[in-house]
Amino acid sequence: MPLQIILNLIIAIMWMFLSESYQFTSFLTGFIIGALLLYLLQRFIPDAFYLSYVWKIIKLLFLFAKELVLSNVEIVKWVYKRGRDYNPGIFAMPTDLRTNWEITMLTSLISLTPGTLSVAISDDNNMIYIHAMDIDDKEEAILAIKDTFEKAIMEVTR
Amino acid sequence: MTETVIDVIFDILVILLLISGAFFIISATIGVIRFPDVYTRLHASTKAATLGISGILIGAFIFLYANHGIISGKLILGIIFVLLTAPVSAHMIGRAAHSSGVEPWSKTGETRDEYAEIKNKGS
Amino acid sequence: MSEFASFLPDLISVITVICMVVVTISITILLYRVVKGPTNPDRAVALDAIGINLMAMAGLVAILLTSTQLNDVILLIGILLFIGTIALAKYLEKGVIIDRNRD
Repeated sequence: MPLQIILNLIIAIMWMFLSESYQFTSFLTGFIIGALLLYLLQRFIPDAFYLSYVWKIIKLLFLFAKELVLSNVEIVKWVYKRGRDYNPGIFAMPTDLRTNWEITMLTSLISLTPGTLSVAISDDNNMIYIHAMDIDDKEEAILAIKDTFEKAIMEVTR
Repeated sequence: MTETVIDVIFDILVILLLISGAFFIISATIGVIRFPDVYTRLHASTKAATLGISGILIGAFIFLYANHGIISGKLILGIIFVLLTAPVSAHMIGRAAHSSGVEPWSKTGETRDEYAEIKNKGS
Repeated sequence: MSEFASFLPDLISVITVICMVVVTISITILLYRVVKGPTNPDRAVALDAIGINLMAMAGLVAILLTSTQLNDVILLIGILLFIGTIALAKYLEKGVIIDRNRD
């Protein structure tokens, strides 16, 4: 992975020198050509193509933005609804993620999804306690978090 | 002619972003006033305020770019910073509230709190 | 079309002033929660929300004055707000902000 990034940068700088124009646009052209070459020659280079990894990170960011907008619409609905027809509570969710970095990302994603807010993490890092606006559909929330967020984070980190 | 069309589109975009941002911010405030306990108030203040501030700052970015040709990356940095830190502060305040003994509000009267159960069992 | 285009910048400044009024009302309502708040965490939540509103206010002033000088102010308010909220939460949880024995 570091080897591929260095190769790509070297190709970009060589392109800059070969075309004798020392500007950002020619560097960018060289970078794109280098990425294309690496993609074509990925059978001869160890490890997977590194831009696919970057693409997964970009997909995670888009997931984050989509969930943020959805959760806002949801919370605004709760705010302007007459009366209090929700039933909040705290439930526990087991998680398979281990390192601090992964758990931080997961709790941030949980806090920005509709109707859930992470409150605490158990000492041995395998339970996340989540406050839900409507605790009656907690099974659904656990399934949704497991299906979308945990999978997306695992694709990036493992 | 085409330049005026693009300007009009940018201006309308700015107006829409500003109005939606202010709407989300005032919704967050009304939520903080109306909701019954700390945790539900945290729901309102983290989510709605985050989208409101993103709307207003993106509106400012587009306005400065379209009308004066200034690209200011600091506004984008500010949005990213708020997006990163809002969940963390919400988590910290939630944990502090729980450990200082605030019970979650419940409509039916019986609080459902699996975290408190486990904490009590441990001690 | 051209009359409409020349009319829009004025509209933007009017909308900006209206948004500033809305944000000001929002800060005033939040101050009520800071003073009244039944528990201390409530006050922390309201102070956090006031900080976010101040950031929005700085952005709106930047539009009104069409200057980039206020961008640093926005970033600084954000950073100080984060540090302040974390310190307040630690104080509410443990009673101290800087604890020597790390766990």
